[in-house]
Amino acid sequence: MRLRLRLALTTLAVTAPTIVALVALDARMRHAAAEQALARIAFQHMLESGARDRCEATPATWGGTPLPAPRTGSAPPHDLPLFDHPSGPASPPPPPADGERPVRAGEPPVLFAYDALLRAANPRAPVLDEDLVEAIATRDVAAEPFTIRGPTVQVLLRMPWTTGPCTYVLARGTTGPGWLGAILPASRVWLVPVGIVIVAVLLAVGPVVGRIRKLTEAVRRSAAQGFTGSVTSPGDDEIAELGRAFDAASQEVRTQLAEKDRREQALRDYLANTTHDVMIPLTVLQAHLSTLQERAARNDPFDMSVLVSAMDEAHYLASLMHNLAIATKLDAGEPQLHRAPVDLNALVNRVMGRHRPIARQRDIALESAVPEHPVVTDADVTLLEQAVSNIVYNAIRHNRPGGHVAVLLEVIHEGRFRVRVLDDGPGIPEADLSRLVERGFRGDEARTRAPDGQGLGLHITFRVAALHDLDLRFQPSEYGGLQVDLEGYCGP
Amino acid sequence: MPERVLLIEDDHELGGQIVERLRRAGYEPLWWNTGRRIPPEDLQGLALVILDLMLPGTYGMDILKDLRATSDVPVLVLSARNDTTDKVRALKLGADDYMTKPFWPEELIERVRARLRRPTLQRQDLLEVGPLRIDLELREVRLDGKPIELTRVEFDFLTALARRPGVAITRAWLVEHVLDPERDGTERTLDVHVSRLRKKLGGALVETVWGIGYRLAAGRDPGSNASGDPKRKPGHEP
Repeated sequence: MRLRLRLALTTLAVTAPTIVALVALDARMRHAAAEQALARIAFQHMLESGARDRCEATPATWGGTPLPAPRTGSAPPHDLPLFDHPSGPASPPPPPADGERPVRAGEPPVLFAYDALLRAANPRAPVLDEDLVEAIATRDVAAEPFTIRGPTVQVLLRMPWTTGPCTYVLARGTTGPGWLGAILPASRVWLVPVGIVIVAVLLAVGPVVGRIRKLTEAVRRSAAQGFTGSVTSPGDDEIAELGRAFDAASQEVRTQLAEKDRREQALRDYLANTTHDVMIPLTVLQAHLSTLQERAARNDPFDMSVLVSAMDEAHYLASLMHNLAIATKLDAGEPQLHRAPVDLNALVNRVMGRHRPIARQRDIALESAVPEHPVVTDADVTLLEQAVSNIVYNAIRHNRPGGHVAVLLEVIHEGRFRVRVLDDGPGIPEADLSRLVERGFRGDEARTRAPDGQGLGLHITFRVAALHDLDLRFQPSEYGGLQVDLEGYCGP
Repeated sequence: MPERVLLIEDDHELGGQIVERLRRAGYEPLWWNTGRRIPPEDLQGLALVILDLMLPGTYGMDILKDLRATSDVPVLVLSARNDTTDKVRALKLGADDYMTKPFWPEELIERVRARLRRPTLQRQDLLEVGPLRIDLELREVRLDGKPIELTRVEFDFLTALARRPGVAITRAWLVEHVLDPERDGTERTLDVHVSRLRKKLGGALVETVWGIGYRLAAGRDPGSNASGDPKRKPGHEP
């Protein structure tokens, strides 16, 4: 529903009953006043000397409008015909009982007489309402119960005598003249405040409705443009506040959308890269297995090196999957670190356990040393373990049969720990190393540009170290290969 | 009497392989391929539970929680998810170890062995490793029952290795804890002491570990080998 319509209906809903109530009260009061006046006029008339006699003398014709006493002249009022005869020229015809003519407000009152049994001798007298008959039984003055039927007012009066054809007198009249008879107040002054209120409401609501329309249009425009435009409404009232709130909401929507896009992109990249990266070692693995199968079918001597290569590919695949999953998390924006106390002794032992089978197959001596008592640091155990694992696996993978890899966990100085990984392999060229640890170097570049795809592993190690404020150093080892140091603070 | 290990793993191929490996490693495997509550009477005589977290229809963590309410049996959790939240949660619920798939069978057996390894009872004043017997009180070393005369440094060095038999000890630690800081305390000096000690002990009792330092060969008791690899080759000289 439109705002204006709603406002109009609300105003109407509130005003209409108020007006009805006021009018009813006003009508009730005017009826009461008219009843009092009629009773007063009737009593005054009947109690004048001779009035009763006149009535009782000609009950069949008595009735009509009491004539006012002449304002001039000295004759006593009772000398004058106080009652005109209905047939008389000065009297207006008495109001008919059957209402063939609409009663108009402001008409003069008429009186009729009834005997003790409430029968009228005058055929023009109206038949009494049952309400009046009932009411007069217990009181001296009976009025019709109030209804907004019109301006007609009837009062039945018990005279101070109890016999004769004029024991009861019915006084009939109307309320004062007014617009719509007795219903609406006589004066139209009430129209003025009502008019002022309506004009004031329209004046106040008009601009508000206009601004709300403008705001609605602005919001629609902004939504149509994917919430890229801002929504503003000048001023400092509630509508301006609404505009600002909407602006803030659309900004939030923009942020969420951008975040969602970034996540979706990361997921798509992950899927694409994973498929690409996984298919190659998987193909190599299939080729190795196929070779083994063919040789077995030909009863050729068993070639251990093919089997070792196949195992190596499987191991590489496992490491790659872990690294890709972590790379996705790291690339997807602000990575969430689940920091908790990590037992580095256990971590190193797990890493050793993971790579020992493959090192043994490649004939590489993999050794480790950890202090007697556990060294604990606060870190995300999955990330840190993968970081260490990548260094160790890198040392194994880039080594020769008969080579060595040693992993040392030591507490050095000032509550710092150091994980050192040594090997006697060929090492990594300086240029490759420096590129891997470049700021802003992304995981997918590490996969494609670094040799053997292992660039990804070291790149993740670098990023994890940065996230945990660990020092990561690559340098040539004294045994001819690479020495990688990962240093950080102990303690949870 | 072989130790009984309960495996809860829904994958038939993997479950079968693990069961076979456990049997070959000398354990008595029991395999459930559905996740369900472990009744207390079934827990009797179980040495270890290997629990896969991702079981159809059941949440592995619930089984773990249930199990921990009634028993202290060691639990090794297997999961395909390499996720810190899962690990932390499983460990909080009372898991003793957590392994991410994929893994080599040896790796799993090594973990099981590490979990079930009984601590070797050692007297405070006596260390016995293979043919070696070190009396800490009398500062006396016997090899196959024959007393060997050692210098203070040689004795301290041997004791340091014998306290953690089969475990590599770094040169730096040995230099700091064994050599006299007043005198020439370099790794070179240490190597000189070691070569003298080797002459006295003979054989390959003191192993050189490449890139690390030294280790006392674990000898005839593989159960006390802390790194769990009794078949390890002696290290090469750097």
